[in-house]
Amino acid sequence: MANNDTPCAGTAQDRPSDCPVQPASADPAANELKTTRRDFLRAGGMLSLSSLMGTAALMTQSDDANAAVEWGEHFQKNYRLMTTEEKNEARLRLERRYSDEYGKKVAVDTTEAQPGMLMGYALNIRKCIGCRRCVHACVAENNQSRGPRPGEKIEWIQVLRMERGKFEQEKMNHGYPEGLGIQVGGNAYTPAGQVLEGQYHYNPKAVPEADATYMPIACMQCEKPPCVKVCPVRTTYREGDGPVVIDYNWCIGCKMCMNACPYWARRFNLTTPVLPKEEMNPVTHYLGNRPRMRGVVEKCHWCLQRTRHNRYPACVEVCPVGARKFGNLLDPESEVSKILERKNVFRLKAELNTFPKFFYFYD
Amino acid sequence: MRKLASLSVILALCGGAFYAVSAAEKAAEPAKEAAAAKTPLECFESRKGASELTQRDVKPDWPNVKCSPTTGAALWYGDPYDGTVPMGKMPGLDIAEGKAVVKPRTEKLALMPMCGVSCHNGVGPAFNPPKLPKDKKPAPVPTMEAMVPDLANFQHGRGRIWCMDCHHTTKRNMLVDHFGDPVSFDQPQLLCGKCHGDKLRDWRDGIHGKRIGEFVSTGKKRWFTCTECHNPHNVQDGARNKGFIQVQPEPSPQLPRGMANADHEKLHPIPH
Repeated sequence: MANNDTPCAGTAQDRPSDCPVQPASADPAANELKTTRRDFLRAGGMLSLSSLMGTAALMTQSDDANAAVEWGEHFQKNYRLMTTEEKNEARLRLERRYSDEYGKKVAVDTTEAQPGMLMGYALNIRKCIGCRRCVHACVAENNQSRGPRPGEKIEWIQVLRMERGKFEQEKMNHGYPEGLGIQVGGNAYTPAGQVLEGQYHYNPKAVPEADATYMPIACMQCEKPPCVKVCPVRTTYREGDGPVVIDYNWCIGCKMCMNACPYWARRFNLTTPVLPKEEMNPVTHYLGNRPRMRGVVEKCHWCLQRTRHNRYPACVEVCPVGARKFGNLLDPESEVSKILERKNVFRLKAELNTFPKFFYFYD
Repeated sequence: MRKLASLSVILALCGGAFYAVSAAEKAAEPAKEAAAAKTPLECFESRKGASELTQRDVKPDWPNVKCSPTTGAALWYGDPYDGTVPMGKMPGLDIAEGKAVVKPRTEKLALMPMCGVSCHNGVGPAFNPPKLPKDKKPAPVPTMEAMVPDLANFQHGRGRIWCMDCHHTTKRNMLVDHFGDPVSFDQPQLLCGKCHGDKLRDWRDGIHGKRIGEFVSTGKKRWFTCTECHNPHNVQDGARNKGFIQVQPEPSPQLPRGMANADHEKLHPIPH
């Protein structure tokens, strides 16, 4: 830790007086501070001591898989900059730790994007009945936190319930001011159709309800993702085959991406994720559903651990009405290409020029 | 300086020990919770009564299906091809051998082995030639209605079609196509497509209905056939509900900290 090779390093006492004095900061204002050089160096010494303590704390448990991984992870590169060997090392490290932690053989996949593949998604909005099976299939697949306390339960898909709305003679005078409806121009104030001001917590005895429509939203896997633009550590990025992914190890938890996302798709691990051992899905992908840590952002990645091996995402497979469709946009025979060719399609908030690869359609 | 360093080493060792203890506690907690919540072992797939799956482990720690503890619906497929058979030939569909599978419907329909043998066996004077009402109005048979309750509430075609438009006249355990040839109950699409050609076209391309398995167009898929999702006898039952029979929804998301209920969502969202 302490480097005593050069005479100018080390503590203030044993440093020769002819050493050049380095300013503590490049900012001239910072040098105006009324701290002595001695105080500053002492603080620096304490700082290095405390980091030494942290290191020692990790090294005391070198036989614990968890600690060994944290040690290795601490010095690993951004996933995109890793060589194949480094990725392999990271994979083995994580497999060892997760297997140890969850008491079963956990596989961490690092399969790369395949050429000729551009994943796309389509959802038949006329068919969705709001049963939320996709939401819970996603949780079963993707190892989200599922504790009972607030902030411990994370779901990536949200299903919005929207009033179907209708215009009635009785409501004709409901404008402002009441009874006249002249001040703001009209009085047909009834909400109708897809307004994105829906209800997330609806819980009727049975769905679909006659007076409601349902609209599931999740990550749209934009071609121009605003979340990627704002990430200060470049840990979230678009993969070659389409999905926008996160290297959880490089996420600093600044939540900039959550602010930037216009689709409310990102979730933050406020607490240490609660993931029971027997519910943990042992088939994981490094950029996908491997267990996350506290303080990182996560979101839908189109079940990378499945789709990289040609399997449908979990939400597509459980949709009881077949509203969810997934396929290769570059393949004219895929179901998503056929939908784009044949059906009326829209993208959510298309005016933001995020170019989602998630399309809503209707018969 | 030396004093400080030794102090830090002691602190670090203590920290390490504490870390190990807290990690052990963390691991014990979720195991307890999971034991309390027990999931049902049998779950239904698309609609209740159409097809069921029994949960079992296909590999260690890998069930074929996960069932919802709230509604009993299938929530996650570990093995999408569980209990399937090859789909058979389908006009307009060129799929390599073994790449398209379906769940057999014949096993599910309890009356199937009986109906062609016990009552509609094609033996006896009534069947040679078959005596059917000339006006194609089905005469209510109490025994039949008792066995298939849907018949009392028969809606398909809104009175414009009758039993023998779909069921084979002499082979009652089969369906019938345009030429009067029998069609297996496992391939209802050959029958339904007679009238619902637009839906058949979309179904063939994967737009209508549901397929699970491998999503690439050359991959192996389990196709859901018409009757796994639609009850052909009372299809109009849910017309006001987008054509689907109502189901119980899965639980709603967790409320944020400090929010007692979600009543605010029901208020009119647009102030004026």
